[in-house]
Amino acid sequence: MTGDITLLGYGLAAIGPAIGVGLIFAAYINGVARQPEAQKILQPIAILGFALAEALAIFALVLFFIRL
Amino acid sequence: MSPTAAMLLPMAEDESHFPPDPSLFWQPLVKFGTVDLFGSEMTLAITRPMVILALTVGLLSWWLVATTRKAAIVPSKGQAGTEAVYNFVRNGIARDMIGSRDFLPFVPFLFTMFVLILFNNWMGIIPPVQMPTMGRIGFPIALTLLVYVVYHWIGVKKHGAIGYFKFMLPSGLPGWIKPAILALEMLTFFVTRPLTLALRLFGNMFAGHLLLVVFIIGGWELFLQGGLLSVVSLPAWIMAFAMTVFEALVQFLQAYVFVLLAASYIGGALVDEH
Amino acid sequence: MQLTASTLTAVPVVTAAGSDDPEATALPILPYLPELIFGLVAFGILYWVVAKYVVPNLEKAYAERTAAIEGGMQQAEKAQEEAEAALREYKAQLAEARDEAARIREEAKEQGASIIAEMREQAQAEANRITESATKQIEAERQQAVVSLRSDVGKLSTDLASKIVGESLEDQTRQSGIVDRFLAELEAGNVRPEVVGSPSDGSAGAEGQGN
Repeated sequence: MTGDITLLGYGLAAIGPAIGVGLIFAAYINGVARQPEAQKILQPIAILGFALAEALAIFALVLFFIRL
Repeated sequence: MSPTAAMLLPMAEDESHFPPDPSLFWQPLVKFGTVDLFGSEMTLAITRPMVILALTVGLLSWWLVATTRKAAIVPSKGQAGTEAVYNFVRNGIARDMIGSRDFLPFVPFLFTMFVLILFNNWMGIIPPVQMPTMGRIGFPIALTLLVYVVYHWIGVKKHGAIGYFKFMLPSGLPGWIKPAILALEMLTFFVTRPLTLALRLFGNMFAGHLLLVVFIIGGWELFLQGGLLSVVSLPAWIMAFAMTVFEALVQFLQAYVFVLLAASYIGGALVDEH
Repeated sequence: MQLTASTLTAVPVVTAAGSDDPEATALPILPYLPELIFGLVAFGILYWVVAKYVVPNLEKAYAERTAAIEGGMQQAEKAQEEAEAALREYKAQLAEARDEAARIREEAKEQGASIIAEMREQAQAEANRITESATKQIEAERQQAVVSLRSDVGKLSTDLASKIVGESLEDQTRQSGIVDRFLAELEAGNVRPEVVGSPSDGSAGAEGQGN
C-alpha cells in the first residue's frame, strides 16, 4: 500500500476545525431556538466564527500542498 | 454519451488518471509560448477560467444594466430580482458590518465582489462550464488584494499612518504586553486576514471541484470495470448529485463569507478609537 | 488533460500539455500571474459598470421609493387633517345650528309667552274697561234712578202728606228739605229707599219698624 502521509496529516488536522465548526453552529442553533428574533444578529457572528474556525483547516490544506 | 465513453474507454487501462490531481485545473486554451519570470519559466496562455471570468463579467454587466437601466419605484420582475441581491449585500452585509453611517461608498465594491464571486462559483456546477473560476488561486488572490488595499487604505486615511498602528492596539493594556499584542495584531492585519480570505475561497472551490470529479470519474471508473463493480457506480453518481447540491450551497456560502469578511475588515478599520 | 474531458465539460480540450507545461505541475496555491492580473482587470470592469450604472440607478429608485412612501404618508396625513378639520367645522356648524334652533325656540317661546301675556293683559284691560264702563253705566243709571226715584218719592210723599194734611205742602216741604232729610235718614238707616217704592214685598215689617 502506497500513499502520502501528508494526506493523513491533513485528515487529522481537519478534525479540530470540524469540531469547532460543529460547536459554533450548535451554539447558533441553540441561540436561535431560544430567541428566534435574535437570528439576524447571530447569523453574521456565526458565519464569522465558522470562517475563522475553517481558516485552520485551510492552513492545513496549504501545508499539505507545501509539504514542508 | 457514446463519444465521451469512447474518449474514456482507453482510460480504463491507464491507472494514472485516478485519483484526479491538481493538474486538472490547468486548462490552457490558447498558448503563446513561454517567458522567463524571475528565473523560472512561465507559460503565457489564455486559460479556460479566464474565459469563464470574462464571460461572467459580460453576462453580469448585461444583466445588471438591463434590469436597472429603467429602475422604477414599482420594480419589474428583473429589477426585483436584482434588487433582492442588491438589498442582501447592501442591508444584510454592508450596513450590518460597516454601520449605517458610512457604508454607502463601499456598497458598489461589495456588491460587485458578491455577484462576481457567486456567479463564478456557480460556474463550478452549471453545465456545460462546470469549472469554478475561484479554484484557480490567482483570482481569489486578485480579489483579496483589492480588499486588502481598500481596508488598509481607509484605515490609514481615517487614523493616520501612526494612528493606524495605535488603533490596532486595544487600550488599557499593561505596558510590558503591548509589543507582543502589537506583533500579534499586525500579523492578523497584514498576514492572517488576507491569507485566510484568499485561501478559504480557493480551498473550498478547489476541494469541492475535486470532490465532484472524484465521484463522477470514480463512478465512471467503476462502471467501466464491469460486473458487480458497475452496479456500485450508481451510488457513486447519486453521491455526485448530492454533492453537486451541497456544492451549490457551499459556493453561495463562500461568496457570502468572503464579502461578509471583507465588509467586516472595512468596518473594523473604520470604527472609532477603542 | 483527459481528466478534463471526463468531467463532461463541453469545452474542447487542447492537446495534452500537462507533461511539458510547468504550470500543470505547479503548486495549486501559487497564483498563475496572467490569471491574477486578468482577475484584477475583470473586477475593475465589472466594478466600473456597477458603480457607474447599476448602483446609482438602484439608489435613485430607493430614494424615490422612500420619497413616494413618505409623500404618500404626508398626503394621507394631510387628507386626515383636512377630514378632521371638516368634521370639526361640521360639528361646530351643527352645534351652532342647534344653538340657533334652541335660541329661536326660546325666543318663540318667550315671544309666545309675551304675546299671551300681552293678550291676557289686553283682555284684562278690555275686561276691566268693559266692567268699568258697565259699572259706571250702572252707577249712572243707579244715580239716575236714585234721582228720579228721589224726586218721585218726594213727590209721592208730599202728595201723600198733602192728602193726609189736606193742603198742599208741596212747595213748603220742598223748600224746607224735609223730604230730602227724610230720605237721607232712610239711606243712613236700615230702610232702603226701594222698600218705600215697593211696599208689597216681605220687608214691609221692617219698614213698619223703621217708621
